[in-house]
Amino acid sequence: MRRWFWWFLLVPQGFLLVGFLQDLGLPPLNMAVLSCLYLSWFAQRSALPFLLLGVAIGRTLVDEATLPVHILVIGIPVALLLPLRSLFVAQRWLWQAVAAALLAVAVPKLAGLFGRVFDQPSLSSVLNGWQVVWSALLLPPLLTVLRFLPPFAGFTEPDGLDKVPQ
Amino acid sequence: MAKKSAAFPAGLYAMLLFALAWLTLPRVFAPLERWLVGSACFVPRLGSAWMGEPAMAANRDDLARIDQLSADLREGVRRSDFAGAGITMPVDDKKILCGVLSIGLRGGGGEPSELLLDHTYEELAGCREIVTKGPALLGFLLQPGVGRAADDLPSDPARVMLCNHRDAPRIYASLESEDPTPLRFVIEPAAVVDPEPMRVDFWDDPYRAAELSKSQQRVYTLPVSFGKQRVPGGLLVGRTRRWGYERENGEDSLTIGMFVTPAVAPRALSHVVVWRSGQYPDPPLAFRSTLRSRRRIHATVYDLPGATHGRHMLVADEDVPDGAAVVQDGLFLGSARGLCLGSALVTSFAASRQEWSLLYLPHDEQSIPIELHGRVERTEGHIAWLKWSGPSREQLARLGSGYLFTGSNGKFCPAGLWVGSAEPDRFERNWLKVTVPSQSGPRVAEVIVGERDA
Repeated sequence: MRRWFWWFLLVPQGFLLVGFLQDLGLPPLNMAVLSCLYLSWFAQRSALPFLLLGVAIGRTLVDEATLPVHILVIGIPVALLLPLRSLFVAQRWLWQAVAAALLAVAVPKLAGLFGRVFDQPSLSSVLNGWQVVWSALLLPPLLTVLRFLPPFAGFTEPDGLDKVPQ
Repeated sequence: MAKKSAAFPAGLYAMLLFALAWLTLPRVFAPLERWLVGSACFVPRLGSAWMGEPAMAANRDDLARIDQLSADLREGVRRSDFAGAGITMPVDDKKILCGVLSIGLRGGGGEPSELLLDHTYEELAGCREIVTKGPALLGFLLQPGVGRAADDLPSDPARVMLCNHRDAPRIYASLESEDPTPLRFVIEPAAVVDPEPMRVDFWDDPYRAAELSKSQQRVYTLPVSFGKQRVPGGLLVGRTRRWGYERENGEDSLTIGMFVTPAVAPRALSHVVVWRSGQYPDPPLAFRSTLRSRRRIHATVYDLPGATHGRHMLVADEDVPDGAAVVQDGLFLGSARGLCLGSALVTSFAASRQEWSLLYLPHDEQSIPIELHGRVERTEGHIAWLKWSGPSREQLARLGSGYLFTGSNGKFCPAGLWVGSAEPDRFERNWLKVTVPSQSGPRVAEVIVGERDA
């Protein structure tokens, strides 16, 4: 129960924190992409629905679209990447970087698509080239650290990425 | 079993389906969203205690200037919208300026074809069927319990069927021409897939019509009565858009179809005018409609740390409705999304990407306000680039620098709130460069909320 408390307390604030660090001059990271990668590669599958909810709540704080739109924008890439989890195991950095860059493109595009379909356009649908570059470079190593830190550690699958597929 | 659940994450798919259901029935799940997101705002709300004292109102001169601009806008709107009085409409008719609460129902040309007004049917009892704006005919006022308004009650907001509505009556019209014999025709609503909202259905002289070579000719109504409805002559319906073949080498051109662009773009409409016959007594009701909320409550706006610039948190004493306008010292700050316990998230005009109905007041003293419809496409600091549509060719010709105000954007966002100063973009013809005054830190503001229950 405690791990859920920390997840819903800290992860939504993480979206504000990432923006705050960006204001201080750090590279523009996309917290939604980071969350997508964590959910698809490391998180316990049984906990995914509510982990996704926590992430979507955080994105609602910084973006004008409504909560269900964010659930779809983040949830659909996770659902697509989840079956490919074994592909990204054992620190295959190149694959992880490619996936991060693809997500950094896909998430704004999906936000734009759902914004048009559900009449909820938002600023996050604007593609930022620097965000794609920095996501590819920084998110894979950042995730290897974050998954062992709270609140992520509480939901990381113990044998997830350590197994090399035969 | 475990392997199966791993391969098929049913919970995740269920959550995605739930999100779709949520979007389909937003009102059902709105309280859930208010509490979920409102709970996440609890941390920044606690943190707001250390953000310092909110700044008070602007100085008296600035407030007076904004008040004067708003008064100029109101006066300009009345002057332009009542332009048909005594010319195309009987001089003793009473004119009622109504705000537009919402637009909807795709009609001809894929454009909206129905308006919901901020007056009830009761308040508009005895009014004529036609709805105008300046010299232009916009549509027809529906009657409660009749036709498309069969399920409407007299206490409901009045609905207007625009000329491109699929059930709108056909209009008898003619082209403005130097030819002494007018070319007359009947206009009907176009199909949704057509390029313009209305089309010419029937010409009195098809041979002359086939030789028409010009577009953008003005179309005026001809006086006609059909059933109980009566359309006076001389009202501007719109401008023609010709479809046909251009011939080379001096041969005649061939017109195969004629569409009509409305005089005012439906999406840009903020106000319309309905007419009550001078002989009809005013209904025994308060004229001040309660459909449009005017009550303002005090609130404090805080910058959300790290959120995209232009995203704020608002704390008020009451629950804030979705789409409520947040006003700071007479300046429109943005629209709010209400959360639980009196908090709300505010997206500023510059940071928003939603469609806005707007009013543009050029600096020229003789100018009348121009109704626009647009969306912010790009923002740099306090400058937003707005891509607009709506103004007619005459209005475009006098589009200089001026002031931008909100148009009618729903029940809680009325027309006439000052957004900022604006000027046409030098490079893009249909873009406006809007400079929005901005400040950081906590500040005192007001939110427009629903009227108190009696």
